[in-house]
Amino acid sequence: MFKQSEKAKKAENDSTKNPIEVSSTAVDVSNLSRDTRTSSRSETTIIGEKISIEGNIRAEENLTIEGFMKGSVEIAKHSFGVGSKGRVEGEIRANNVLISGLLHGKVNATGKVEITKNADFYGDIKAHSIAIEEGAFFKGEIELGRDPHKKDDSVGKQMKETGYRGKQASSVPTVEAVKEN
Amino acid sequence: MDAIIDIAQINSHLESETLAYTSKILQQLADRLEKQQRALVLDVGTVCNENINFFAQRAKKLFVCDIFAHMNRHQSGGLKTKGIWRHLDYEPNSFDVINLWNSVEHLNDKDAKRLTEICSKIVKKKGLLFVIDIENHVSAQAVSSFVIGKDFQISLRPQTHLDFPWYCRHNRAVISLFTSFSIVKIFQYRNGLREFLFQR
Repeated sequence: MFKQSEKAKKAENDSTKNPIEVSSTAVDVSNLSRDTRTSSRSETTIIGEKISIEGNIRAEENLTIEGFMKGSVEIAKHSFGVGSKGRVEGEIRANNVLISGLLHGKVNATGKVEITKNADFYGDIKAHSIAIEEGAFFKGEIELGRDPHKKDDSVGKQMKETGYRGKQASSVPTVEAVKEN
Repeated sequence: MDAIIDIAQINSHLESETLAYTSKILQQLADRLEKQQRALVLDVGTVCNENINFFAQRAKKLFVCDIFAHMNRHQSGGLKTKGIWRHLDYEPNSFDVINLWNSVEHLNDKDAKRLTEICSKIVKKKGLLFVIDIENHVSAQAVSSFVIGKDFQISLRPQTHLDFPWYCRHNRAVISLFTSFSIVKIFQYRNGLREFLFQR
């Protein structure tokens, strides 16, 4: 599916015996794997399933972890993802973040954080917006950026988008009993 | 005494039995959170995107600890239910509001009491506990999310990936679980939905 460089293939093969461990402060991951389906403006580097990294990553393109990573990731203007088999422990700073695997740590996103139903998340999220699928394993705290001039209608919008309909409020029976102290 | 209902008998009714109501308490709580802007809110019910967005946009911080996901994991791993309480490991007096929506009715008396005891420790003094559940309705018996919609309308959405027993409790039995709290408001609707606002 993905066109990989010879270096990346060798790295993945070798990692079955000796997982790669990187302890430098910044890792150049641009040659590990590249998703050629995307345009040159939004290339994605994929850290493969059999690769493990310890250290910090600073990148200027999209990055997805399918393997194991412990450390911090800084991708100011691009997206970060944890694939369904990915395991990440650390602090993530990115524009958008998509979590489908395991992430334990802090996420600071200037854009949106999406957590899919198979994800396993423990930690803190600061983001402009968030979407969590039902079924996701989630324990953590969420802090969303506020836009004081914008009235929130996201809930109603989401209900429309998902096609979910309950009975209209007008058809609901009136209050039968009210007790106030 | 709890009455356990067999979930298998009622699952077939769920799709056609959609309940909804406009929550008086949610409306008042939202106003309060918007004015306060510094509230810390904890949600211990099932993960629900609409609810998370609703509270995260109004509270300073929203904390989420889905006890059903923990229970599910403990159950499938052959572990005892009591292990789930360690996940509510928050500092005492941490929260202004705790949401217990469709939660206690899927716990037996012992576990429900344990949950409310933990809540009474981690909620701030004068903090609020917001409980929503259903009494005497077929939809109550499967695990569902109460989903916040437009204009404070709350609807039920079944959580088919979760399978826990339902313990039918009348008002008095529910209130008896929250002895360390005082009652602020109770609304009971004809369709069986109930909401309780307690204060520590």
